[in-house]
Amino acid sequence: MNTISIRNLTKRYGEQVAVDALSLEVESGSVCGLLGPNGAGKSTAFKCLLGLIRPTTGELAISGAPVSPSTFESLAYVPEKNTLYEWMTVKEHFELCRRTYARFDAARASELAALFKLDSGKKIKRLSKGQQTAVALALAFSIRPPVLVLDEPASGLDPIFQRTVLDLIIDAAAGGATVLFSSHQIGQVERAADRVAILKNGKLVLDGNLDTLKGDEKIVEAVFDLDALSPNGLASDPRIRRIVRNGRILRAYVRSGSEEIAASLEALHPKSVSVYDLSLEDIFLGAVSDAAPTSGDA
Amino acid sequence: MTIFLINPRSGVPIYIQLVDQVKRAVALGTLSPGEQLPTVKALALDLTVNANTVARAYRELERDRVIETSPGRGSFVRSEPGSGEVRRAIEDVGASVLADAVRETRSLGLERATVTALFERALDRWFNGTSSEISPEEK
Repeated sequence: MNTISIRNLTKRYGEQVAVDALSLEVESGSVCGLLGPNGAGKSTAFKCLLGLIRPTTGELAISGAPVSPSTFESLAYVPEKNTLYEWMTVKEHFELCRRTYARFDAARASELAALFKLDSGKKIKRLSKGQQTAVALALAFSIRPPVLVLDEPASGLDPIFQRTVLDLIIDAAAGGATVLFSSHQIGQVERAADRVAILKNGKLVLDGNLDTLKGDEKIVEAVFDLDALSPNGLASDPRIRRIVRNGRILRAYVRSGSEEIAASLEALHPKSVSVYDLSLEDIFLGAVSDAAPTSGDA
Repeated sequence: MTIFLINPRSGVPIYIQLVDQVKRAVALGTLSPGEQLPTVKALALDLTVNANTVARAYRELERDRVIETSPGRGSFVRSEPGSGEVRRAIEDVGASVLADAVRETRSLGLERATVTALFERALDRWFNGTSSEISPEEK
């Protein structure tokens, strides 16, 4: 079942299109990592999903229904900028959370406070940015939420607490929770997510299972005796993202079918053909640097 | 401490790395026949990787008949010691490592005969005295 469902979401601010016909479904028990350059529309999409801003068009649902006050009972959202009350202490925030959420688990909350080494008597304004993020995360996970939407959840955290956040995400999803999170750190997505979505200029440019993408996306490189030929047939092959030629070297960045494409390059009698794996970082950079499939992009 | 080492940054899918690591552990005996594997969730948290990814590796290992899972009890290395499946699984890992190596040597522009000679030299080095059935022809 798709717990998080975004269908054909568009958000316009006057002339500017922040989110452009975005469709994204996240299954129950899955962790979807949303990547994209600054201003790609990640936070706007999250806010539309949660009903915090009104979409221009689109259908949004969580657990099969549009977001409503009852949806919020079982949903944890950690925004990019925390919404904690500066003048309140950490402990008072947990108390507020206990009164607001029927699902609040006091034992879990204490575990989380200890995990992030929170000083419960301190006021929020006296905490560092990272500690404030930790408070917001501890509150979010203390309701054992079936759905989590986390906007840059590890920003400002040191590497040890970043790992703690990943463990919390992995643990929640292993228990059946559905997680949608954005990050600038590809390494976090690589570990926690089984699903990756890449946004650019409000458009979804790549979406799929992480391991399947890594298995499919390759560079096929051919080295020729003379200058690389123009591989006429291949240029229009939909499995190829782009072809780069530099003297005797030809590189095809492929979406899938690397073995067959290597075989077609063999037919041109090169000196050698090699297939290279791509890391998620390579795949990400390739996806956001590609020319958009439809016009309208700057 | 986990007995498996995964590199999430690699371009090799994580579930494939894990499948290879389990097969290798069975081959080396660091996982014994009949031994219980960690639960999907425990291994996911141990390696800090997604649980569905670990589950996919376990499904693959079941399909390759390296492990067996019984509902409610957990996953175990198949109990027949030296069973055909486990040996074949290990050969699969070896075959893919060799295929990559051969592909790379070929892409360097080396001739088949040269690659064969290099391969035999490597065999001499690593199977020194243990493998009498492979006798290098040339030196």
